Amino acid sequence: MSLLTQTGSVIVINIRSIPQRLWMSLATVVSIALVVAVLLGFLSLANGFRQTVGGSGAPDVAIVLRDGSTAELNSTLSRDQIDLLGQAPGVRFGADSRPLISSELMLVVDGIKKSSGTKANMPLRGIGPNGLQVRKQVRLREGRMFAPGTNEIVAGSGLLREFNGFELGRSIRFGAQTWKVVGVFEAPGTVFESELWADAAVVQSLFNRGTSFQSARVALTSPAAMAAFAAYVKNDPRLQLEAKSEQAYFASQAERSGALITYFGWPLGIIMAIGATAGALNTMYSSVSARAAEIATLRVIGFSGFSAFAGTMAEAMVLSLLGAILGTAICALGFNGLSASTLGAGFTQVAFRLQMGPALVIQAIVLAVVIGLVGGIFPGLRAARQRPLLALSAA
Amino acid sequence: MTDFDLVRKNLFRKPLRTVLLIVSIFMAFLIFGLLASFNVTLENASVAGSASNRLVVANKINFTQPLPIAYVSRVATVDGVTAISHYSWFGAYFQDQRKSRFIGFAVDPDTYTRVFADTIKLPETERRAFVAERTGVLVGKSVADQYGWKVGQTVPISSNVWVKADGGRSWDMKIMGIFTGAKPADPTNAIYLHYDYLNETRTFGRDQIGNIAIVTASPDLNDRVAKTIDAAFANSPYETSTVDEKTFSRAFIKQAGDINVIITLVVAAAFAAILMIVGTTLVSAVRERTKEIGVMKTLGFSGPRVLRMVLGESMLLSVLGAGLGLGVAALALAALSKSPLASNFGDISMAPLVVVAGISLAVLLGLVTGAVPAITALRMSIVDALGRK
Amino acid sequence: MSDLIKLSNVTKNYRRSKEEINIFTGLNLTIPKGDFVAIMGPSGSGKTTLLNLLGGTDRCDRGEIVFDGEHIEAYSEGQLAAWRARNVGFVFQFYNLMPVLNAAQNVELPLMLTSLPIKKRRENVATALKIVDLSDRAKHRPKELSGGQQQRVAIARAIVSDPKLLLCDEPTGDLDRASANEILSTLQLLNRELGKTIIMVTHDPEAARFATRTLHLDKGHFVEAIS
Repeated sequence: MSLLTQTGSVIVINIRSIPQRLWMSLATVVSIALVVAVLLGFLSLANGFRQTVGGSGAPDVAIVLRDGSTAELNSTLSRDQIDLLGQAPGVRFGADSRPLISSELMLVVDGIKKSSGTKANMPLRGIGPNGLQVRKQVRLREGRMFAPGTNEIVAGSGLLREFNGFELGRSIRFGAQTWKVVGVFEAPGTVFESELWADAAVVQSLFNRGTSFQSARVALTSPAAMAAFAAYVKNDPRLQLEAKSEQAYFASQAERSGALITYFGWPLGIIMAIGATAGALNTMYSSVSARAAEIATLRVIGFSGFSAFAGTMAEAMVLSLLGAILGTAICALGFNGLSASTLGAGFTQVAFRLQMGPALVIQAIVLAVVIGLVGGIFPGLRAARQRPLLALSAA
Repeated sequence: MTDFDLVRKNLFRKPLRTVLLIVSIFMAFLIFGLLASFNVTLENASVAGSASNRLVVANKINFTQPLPIAYVSRVATVDGVTAISHYSWFGAYFQDQRKSRFIGFAVDPDTYTRVFADTIKLPETERRAFVAERTGVLVGKSVADQYGWKVGQTVPISSNVWVKADGGRSWDMKIMGIFTGAKPADPTNAIYLHYDYLNETRTFGRDQIGNIAIVTASPDLNDRVAKTIDAAFANSPYETSTVDEKTFSRAFIKQAGDINVIITLVVAAAFAAILMIVGTTLVSAVRERTKEIGVMKTLGFSGPRVLRMVLGESMLLSVLGAGLGLGVAALALAALSKSPLASNFGDISMAPLVVVAGISLAVLLGLVTGAVPAITALRMSIVDALGRK
Repeated sequence: MSDLIKLSNVTKNYRRSKEEINIFTGLNLTIPKGDFVAIMGPSGSGKTTLLNLLGGTDRCDRGEIVFDGEHIEAYSEGQLAAWRARNVGFVFQFYNLMPVLNAAQNVELPLMLTSLPIKKRRENVATALKIVDLSDRAKHRPKELSGGQQQRVAIARAIVSDPKLLLCDEPTGDLDRASANEILSTLQLLNRELGKTIIMVTHDPEAARFATRTLHLDKGHFVEAIS
């Protein structure tokens, strides 16, 4: 019999014998599944958050902040400065021949987080009349847009998922003023969904902000115009502002945010994997010893040591792959798409969903495969090196 | 030879198998030790330095919204308030915003250092010097250590919120004292400057403050005082929300997300895995010894005694693995506590509560994994056990 | 009374899946003190079951088993265990030593059921090993001993508590002729010099010759043959 055929036969024998050690094999599969599920869970958490933040920016919209500010909350812009921006190269003009610029400011208000029942920071953003035009990802889902000059608010659907009190038609009190939610908007996969929007002028007056804004969002004619626009803003001595593409702005935020979750996920996954590997080794050693007489008989007949090795490896790999599939299924059915929210870079809550993806699943499967490999190699070597006559006489 | 000797020898009958099991249990308890301690640390950090009779008065819209400074004298008159101070977020950084890791507040110097005397510890002479010097600043020990600052030095502190009339964002401040926290391990990454120094030089936000801190005559009065204050300012342009310090801090930490749930799920997953691994292996191991158990019973060992010995094996196994796991976790935490990141959280070493919980879990694990094989051994009939070839 | 054991009218049935097989009905047997009896018979005749009943490791369905005045048929599991520890030593065909213990520790096992102090235990173990002539192998594990040596350890274990009765189930079944004879001589010694009552089940007529008398068991009934 050729080596290949031998090996094939032994592999089949090994795999067919798995039900004889049902409970221990099951334990190995389940423990590997749990490792995969935990790792995937963390990676999906990080991925979902990163995607939401990173996916929020458009390449042809510039966000302008005060020079040196890292976030909108730290920045101030005056009306004059924003008017000057309209003269920069690359600015797109609207149907009314005026530059498409939205002057904005953000405030933090309180909401009640559904999951913990405690207070959390919610962003209330005052936007200009061009607010919707500089955000093409946004779509009004229910109700209507707020009327300029009124105490009306529209709420993001992500915010509604995670927090109580901002449903359509509700009246909310911020300070001494009452506001009414007249619409709900969607902007899936972006941070905008976690915001409340109102008229900037109304926000300014009711919160005593005078005439100052925090940021300006400028629609450009094309992504290619970004460089020239940013250079103009930087070089103009009257401005003291900094412009970057929305995409770049959010991308750098995204990078910083997912890291923390990943720093936890991988170490945890690896520690659990070591534990599961020890369990897999046990199961495989037990398999080799339980079948010692069988292996010895095959060897005496003439099957090679390699085939014994391969058979054991195959058994280990089957168990670990089953575990990987089970773990991925647990994550996909139990966690994927689950809504979550946490503190974002702007010191306010960002609502996002856990997001599994092919790259993540592959990482988790690789871990499971490594467990199977290690769990199979040493017992496999023992099976290959077993001295057949000795094993038979002991039986 | 004692029963324990038998237990020990039987447990290590196949040394490799037992070592592998210990490794699995070790990993699970390592995870438990680290995560549970992390949880406790967060909880402690959130209430570190909180006093039971200190309250925070904040703008009702959100604590980042300002209050008028005039409120301070009005709140001081409320029955039950024995001390009062105010503080405002400065948005402080030194040189590079991204590398700066401390926070800064503009405070009413004399009252603040008195109200928070338990968390701002420094010699009285330095405190008085700080109160007397308008451009003075008190610096936390970890900040001073980070930049090598000494008392008497003048340093420029920048703000990412406030602007001076000349457009500048940096205020020169003279270090009047270096303070430590309530407990040696408490975080000290903060600085405190004079409110007046900020207020008189900033371009907007004049005569506004961030929050008011008050001390009540006793914690029992907290509720009543809070309600009185909030009622006084209801329906005004600046409504207030007054809560005790602990509640305030806890809500703040909870913003990060439901860490508790995640930690519980992970620890549960790890333990479910080892429960299966250890349980099934022990069942298999005891089954191998069917004949021996039959012989023990023939010799005269009673069923209950045999059960105790099998349980003894699973308990010994569990305790060994748990001891290693908790021990290594404790060492890892002790090593981590020296790192700069840890100083933000205060004391991150393993809390006694975690150790006790860990030991209880180990006992429970031992009982559960040993239950099936032990009961099998108990019920085994001698005739059946010896009849098996 | 000079009878050590008396079985009166013993009936024993054995249930295997749905069948009930009758092993003994109305069996009678008397073993005087100091007797050395060999029990022979074809497989299925009930030899092992008889040994189990005599040793209190199995119970009869009807009848009486009286051991030195005690009605052991009425004892509970716990009482039987304690009774066995005091009164009976067992020797099995395949030795049944614990592989994780050495010879001396194996011999010590029955003493863990007593409240003897450590010093006395050590003495008893040493004495037992001396009787079977294995003192120099005390620290060896079973896998380091030959079949004959392992059986001698087993005998030492069986006598270390100084029981009145020794029950042996095919003690030489796994040994070569020379080792078998050694074991049987030792049993004779125990019977003649130390007055132990011995009941031995065996296939081997050569082994039966070492006993004082032989009983033949066939389908649950005795046929005596004088040796």
